[in-house]
Amino acid sequence: MAVEVILPRVDMDMETGKVSRWHAAEGEAVAKGQLLFEIETAKAAMDIEAPASGTLRGVAAREGDELPVGAIVGWICNDGEAPPARAAAAPVGSAVAAPAGPVKVLGDSTPTSLPAARGATATPKARRLAREAGLDVASLAGSGPQGRVQALDVERARGVGAAKSGAPRAHGEWLRRGAGPPFVFLHGFGAELGVWKPLVQRLDPSRGALALDMPGHGLSPPPPDDVTLDALVAAVEAALAAEGVARFHLVGHSLGGAVAAMLAARLGERVFSLTLVAPAGLGPEIDGAFMDGFLRATSVASLRPWLRRLARDPETLGAGLAEATLKRRAERGLGPGQARIAAALMPDGVQAIDVRPALAAFGGPARVVFGAEDAIIPPRHAVGLPGAVAVHVLAGVGHNPQLEARAEMARILSDQAAAGDARVR
Amino acid sequence: MTAARAEDAPPVAVANRPAIYDRVGAGGLREALRRMHLIRRFEETAEDFYVRGKSYGTMHLSIGQEATAVGVCAALGDSDYVTSTHRGHGHCIAKGAEVGRMFAEFLGRETGYCRGRGGSMHIADPAKGNLGANGIVGGGIPIAVGAALSAKRLRTGAVVASFFGDGANNEGAFHESLNIASLWKLPVLFVCENNQYGMSVAFARSTAVASVADRAAAYSMPGVTVDGNDFAAVAAAAFEAADRARRGGGPTLVECKTYRTRGHSRSDRNRYRTKDEIEAWKARDPIERFERELSALGVATAADAASLREAVEREIADGVAFAEASPAPSTAELMRDVHTPAAAAPR
Amino acid sequence: MTAPIRELGFAEAIREALAIAMAEDERVFVMGEDVGVYGGAFQVTGDLVQRFGEDRVVDTPISELGGAGVAVGAALTGLKPVFELQFSDFSTLAMEQIVNQAAKLRYMLGGSVSVPLVVRMPTGSGLGGAAQHSQSLEAWFAHVPGLKVVEPTTPYDAKGLLLAAIDDPDPVIFFEHKLLYKTKGPVPEGRYVVPLDRAETRRAGRDLTIVAAGVMAQKALDAATILASEGIEAEVIDPRVLRPLDMATVARSVTRTSRLLIVYEGAKSFGIGAEIAAAIAEGEAFGHLDAPILRLGGAETPIPYSPALERAAVPQVEDIVAAARRLARGEA
Repeated sequence: MAVEVILPRVDMDMETGKVSRWHAAEGEAVAKGQLLFEIETAKAAMDIEAPASGTLRGVAAREGDELPVGAIVGWICNDGEAPPARAAAAPVGSAVAAPAGPVKVLGDSTPTSLPAARGATATPKARRLAREAGLDVASLAGSGPQGRVQALDVERARGVGAAKSGAPRAHGEWLRRGAGPPFVFLHGFGAELGVWKPLVQRLDPSRGALALDMPGHGLSPPPPDDVTLDALVAAVEAALAAEGVARFHLVGHSLGGAVAAMLAARLGERVFSLTLVAPAGLGPEIDGAFMDGFLRATSVASLRPWLRRLARDPETLGAGLAEATLKRRAERGLGPGQARIAAALMPDGVQAIDVRPALAAFGGPARVVFGAEDAIIPPRHAVGLPGAVAVHVLAGVGHNPQLEARAEMARILSDQAAAGDARVR
Repeated sequence: MTAARAEDAPPVAVANRPAIYDRVGAGGLREALRRMHLIRRFEETAEDFYVRGKSYGTMHLSIGQEATAVGVCAALGDSDYVTSTHRGHGHCIAKGAEVGRMFAEFLGRETGYCRGRGGSMHIADPAKGNLGANGIVGGGIPIAVGAALSAKRLRTGAVVASFFGDGANNEGAFHESLNIASLWKLPVLFVCENNQYGMSVAFARSTAVASVADRAAAYSMPGVTVDGNDFAAVAAAAFEAADRARRGGGPTLVECKTYRTRGHSRSDRNRYRTKDEIEAWKARDPIERFERELSALGVATAADAASLREAVEREIADGVAFAEASPAPSTAELMRDVHTPAAAAPR
Repeated sequence: MTAPIRELGFAEAIREALAIAMAEDERVFVMGEDVGVYGGAFQVTGDLVQRFGEDRVVDTPISELGGAGVAVGAALTGLKPVFELQFSDFSTLAMEQIVNQAAKLRYMLGGSVSVPLVVRMPTGSGLGGAAQHSQSLEAWFAHVPGLKVVEPTTPYDAKGLLLAAIDDPDPVIFFEHKLLYKTKGPVPEGRYVVPLDRAETRRAGRDLTIVAAGVMAQKALDAATILASEGIEAEVIDPRVLRPLDMATVARSVTRTSRLLIVYEGAKSFGIGAEIAAAIAEGEAFGHLDAPILRLGGAETPIPYSPALERAAVPQVEDIVAAARRLARGEA
């Protein structure tokens, strides 16, 4: 049986090879192992031996032909045998086709130096904020190095939090990122933003939730020496500007409720809905003993009894609250700042702030939620509010409805979000 | 290796019969011959795949070295380990691998021993104790010592044969491994397949000692040199070394002088050796020699050998068919097995 | 859950993890140069040889390549070695076995084997070890698919991460900064693990994010305290595990702070910092950046011997403070 002679692969990267020289001619007798032909690859020349003894027939490659690997270049036949009739492989072409057009050298179109500055440079965040606000960054004056436009410059141009660029900014944390106007949460005196986490878990997961630490609380900077309710509002406003939050649903608890009411009055329609939970600022009474005891406590033993007043069922506040409160207070030196806030806004156990006018001025969906058994601020403060403000007084609940009545609170906020979004559309 | 047909073996002329043949048994000898043929035909078929451009990458053929692989593995059981080299197809078959899954690996198919992730240079069969071929010269030697440490610590009674070439005897890994294995009396057979060339450089041009076995003295272990083309000589040395290892006597260095009749890899142009030298070694072909001997001893007649070769041809053809019909790995599984999946991870 | 917590040194925490793993699982053993009666070059293995015997606390010859290969082979065949290199610099001698063998065997062999190996190595400068005993080569290993790369900062993490590394079915490279060995911190008794895929936020802050591992995380925390007194609140994230890197935690932080500083001891170019910076630049957090990303890495020099030079060659607290200040004040 005739044995085929192929153009063998002799290099890992070889796809074609050139038959450079035959050492035997058609019809000539060859012996197994004898030098049969030479091939040339891109790398080197190589001798190919006859794979069998017999007569070379059906030579299908001329010297100089370039063929693909595995192509049959001839047959070694027994006497009188004819090679099988099979089409020989077409030569690949004796030369590699020249590329059309100019040859592109790698990298020759890439400038190695930056072009001369053209217009303003801007940070990615500034560009994003400008795009969202419909501003052209090129038109803005940059305050960064080499005039680079930074987020602050866009915020100034947009008039958000602008005036108070020097004001301390409250620390914020996105408990959840989401689409559309987010909830913004403001905690009460002595607490921090983490107080909202259990409630946020029950809310619509597609909606964002930004919680802020009030000045003098959590990770926020201390309040100014001459702290006022307006200073707290300004710190919150600055945080919202820094986070790029323009429109939102606002929720405030206790002292944070008072701040929320003031902020809602200031920002008007940018606040889609307003929910005040056991808010301060609606009446004069507050548990002054709690305020004093809370600030004076230096140990778990002296703090825990006061914290029990915060809820009808203290279990709902979570374990370790006293420890965490004292640890944070010690680490961050929160005591003096909180004392200043208490002295300025609630001197002598009396609420020296009044947010009723602000609440009346807010035109959007507004609700006030109290626990019927609130031991810190009496729920009767909800009496006599403007008629458009809905009031919930929850039975069996104390000063922290967001922890004590999570399901009810989640439902109320869901209704508020729906009402606020619908009104704007 | 099984000795299934030992009882029906015809008696053998006692005079020329190597003593080790009694231990291997007639059935074992026929199986050894079958495996040597299977290796030869696997290599030739692999070469054919390569030259036709049907396979990918390169490969290293062990044609001419079959007696070494099969002779050493004759002394091993399935629970014993081997580590292998870039020229590892023979070790794999000698240790009992299926040629179909080897061809499949060679063609980069999902059914291959390494699911097409390893190729010719990494074929492994851990189920049969083959810890894998290795692309790094000397790479498997310390790994073999580690496997021997496991065998000793876990008291499995296993021994480990580490195949490597003469090129590896100048690697640091070789020297560190021999020292550690001897120091800790570990059950290792260091098997040097001295095929005369480290790629193109002749042994005498690379190595300061006359033979690799001389290195053993430096590590206080026995070192023997045998004719690597003589199955009986290799098997005798391997059994002795394995016995010693199993007794707790520590490692042995066995140098098998042999020859690869093909180039280092398929891109080898054979410029460093002469045709005469190659022809001289071909005349000492280990398979022809073994077959002649078994025939003379009456262990395998010419008819036995012919039917054995036919069976090997069928096994090769079936293996090729299996491999060619096997699917390529899915690119969706590119990242598979970089790490052990969490669910599969044993504690 | 309520195991008693003691103050423990970093080295003791590692030793405790080794002892727990060895007591629980006969397959676990320690090997390396001078890990036996000497107790390890940095006294990490300490008295383990007295407690577990020479079969399980194995002194190897000075053979980094051979030792690493033996560890790989033992891991392949049923044991769980913890291999100690005396200095990470010596990993250069063992690279073949770690990179070509340990990292690749499972993949290369189609998933038919695994290599449950831990390689521990002291890293970093600060003790006058000069150029061949002070390198930080984390990025080399973090570049290799198939390896996990761990670098603890606290004694708590050192113990929990090492137990996780020993439990892991794949090879883990465990870097221990030499300057941390003598540090102390709270460590619970008994077994616990710190997962090998999670960064830890060591300090919360709003003004910038600092990412730093090992001793650099410690320096970043010291810098953050100084920065806080200036009204700059730095968030400090300790990756703990460099491969796989928990970029989600870094990205979430950068989304809030808009500023990123990466601090690492290895040479600045082609290092850990480049990877983290690029991942942020490629991801969603990019649009929240309000300043260029800054890297503070080691100088492009071998680690010098003379103390002042050595100090100058790697980031120090004051360098971190200065860089953070520039970032937070919009001057970068």
